[in-house]
Amino acid sequence: MRVQRHSYDSAVLADGRAPAWGAIKEQEITLIPAPLTRTAAVSPYLSRQTGHGRIHNLRARLAHDGTTLSIRLAWHDPDKDDELKDLDQFTDGVAVMFPLAPGASAMAMGAREAPINAWFWKADENEPFDVFAEGYATSHRRSGADSGLTATGYHDQEHWVVVLQRPLTNADDRLAGFRPGSPSAIAFAAWAGSNKERSGQKSVSGEFVHLTVDA
Amino acid sequence: MADKLRHKAGMKGSQRQLATVIDLNKCMGCQSCTVACKNIWTQRPGTEHMRWANVATYPGRGYPRDWQSKGGGYDAQSNPAQGELINLVDAGDNLQFNHDAVFHEENGQSAHLQPTTSRGEKPQWGYNWDEDQASGSWPNAFFFYIPRKCNHCSNAPCIEACSRNAISKREDGIVLIDQDRCTGHRHCVEACPYKMVYFNPVTKRSEKCIECFPRVEQGIAPACNRQCVGRTRAYGYLDDEDNQVHKLVKRWKVALPLHPECGTEPNVFYVPPMSTRAYDESGRLTQEMRIPMEILESYFGPAVGDALNTLVEQRQRRKRGESSELMDILISRRWEDRFAQFTNEPV
Ligand code: SF4
Ligand code: SF4
Repeated sequence: MRVQRHSYDSAVLADGRAPAWGAIKEQEITLIPAPLTRTAAVSPYLSRQTGHGRIHNLRARLAHDGTTLSIRLAWHDPDKDDELKDLDQFTDGVAVMFPLAPGASAMAMGAREAPINAWFWKADENEPFDVFAEGYATSHRRSGADSGLTATGYHDQEHWVVVLQRPLTNADDRLAGFRPGSPSAIAFAAWAGSNKERSGQKSVSGEFVHLTVDA
Repeated sequence: MADKLRHKAGMKGSQRQLATVIDLNKCMGCQSCTVACKNIWTQRPGTEHMRWANVATYPGRGYPRDWQSKGGGYDAQSNPAQGELINLVDAGDNLQFNHDAVFHEENGQSAHLQPTTSRGEKPQWGYNWDEDQASGSWPNAFFFYIPRKCNHCSNAPCIEACSRNAISKREDGIVLIDQDRCTGHRHCVEACPYKMVYFNPVTKRSEKCIECFPRVEQGIAPACNRQCVGRTRAYGYLDDEDNQVHKLVKRWKVALPLHPECGTEPNVFYVPPMSTRAYDESGRLTQEMRIPMEILESYFGPAVGDALNTLVEQRQRRKRGESSELMDILISRRWEDRFAQFTNEPV
């Protein structure tokens, strides 16, 4: 994957409809149903779930202007679940994940001493969350406002389009940081609320893949 | 962060276990327990539908609706059994009445008191909808009430199901959901075979009976137990040989868990209904019980026959003028005798 350098004002890119996004190359990410067998020690109930993974791919555009990382994600989901209308309903969501230490596993949500930081957008929330984890069941959410993480999303009948943005660098070592010219790694996940997807019941891109950040 | 990763086995066990016994022969379905709980705990936004303490007529669809056919718990091989979620209507909804129209707008003659659902529709189901609907056929109709709450299970599947380790058992046996850890995934709702976890759509977290732990810590019995006007309930530590709970469950073995086959080791125990006697075809009273044994066994397991025999025997003793510790316990002339060290006043 590649983060493309651009010269637009990042505020313009906050809107997923902005024509400026046309200049950023679209990259296709194939998703698979998250394998749950490894969650057995944490939740033997969750580990036996099947039928999740309704979202099969994401179309991603990644860009930075030297200060802000902007990620635009689009995917097919004709059911717009952005409201909890009943006790048995779930909402749509999408996340990007970054390792905070070499060797961290995306599929295991990190590990002890090898944490991860994810940016998590949920259709029923006004603000995205920063997620920190060192393995299943250890995750913590924090309001994105604390790190300057912002998100916008819209649904156009058939698709969700979500833009996530955050400053490339920050002082908190629990937050993923990026340096133009230095490589990083990324993984993706998505949830279809109408398919009762939540927590480990999701679609994932697999292990972290190399992320080039243009100088 | 890493120290949050505790082992499930450790989270499920406890040093001691608080337990409740409810005598179904004395429960009159008055709902005082339900109301006592609701007044204290579930009047916050998003909790309107919740009845952490509830009473329904059985055999029946129960509360939440059809909970007995929604899975969860463990199968016969002790493997996790998948369960289903409940919806707002199953959970009793939040029916609203047109009090203003009837009482304050001088329409008393034309407007009739009627409920509407939280979606503004005519209700098709609600809490206690099938109250007092009997099973069996005339003249041998029967029903009984079962008051319920979270069983604070000793092998709690809700704890095991939570993918965020948000549920744990305290040293006194009370099972609590940490509202700071819960993010409302509802694996616990699916896993609890008693459907005693409820989702709060406003806070987006799951909630359940907290066994009135702030009261219990002050030596005050949980509100459902304390407010029971039928004096049906006993409360205390299961291993305390001096209290009624221990005597009824362990010594006399007349108080049984509900649906023990779910494998969760629940800690609410029931003295099973002794049942009125049945009539035969010619209308004569027989020695047979009206409630078929298969039905009682389907609720309280295979031990229910022995429990009923003990109850009948001891009642006979008493009728003959002999003494019976068991009958004395079940009568409980002093309410304080029922609650062990939890007899402090709530105010
Ligand atoms: S009754 Fe349900 S909610 Fe309560 S401890 Fe048992 S499994 Fe958990
Ligand atoms: S308060 Fe007591 S008698 Fe009344 S419904 Fe509850 S358990 Fe039964």
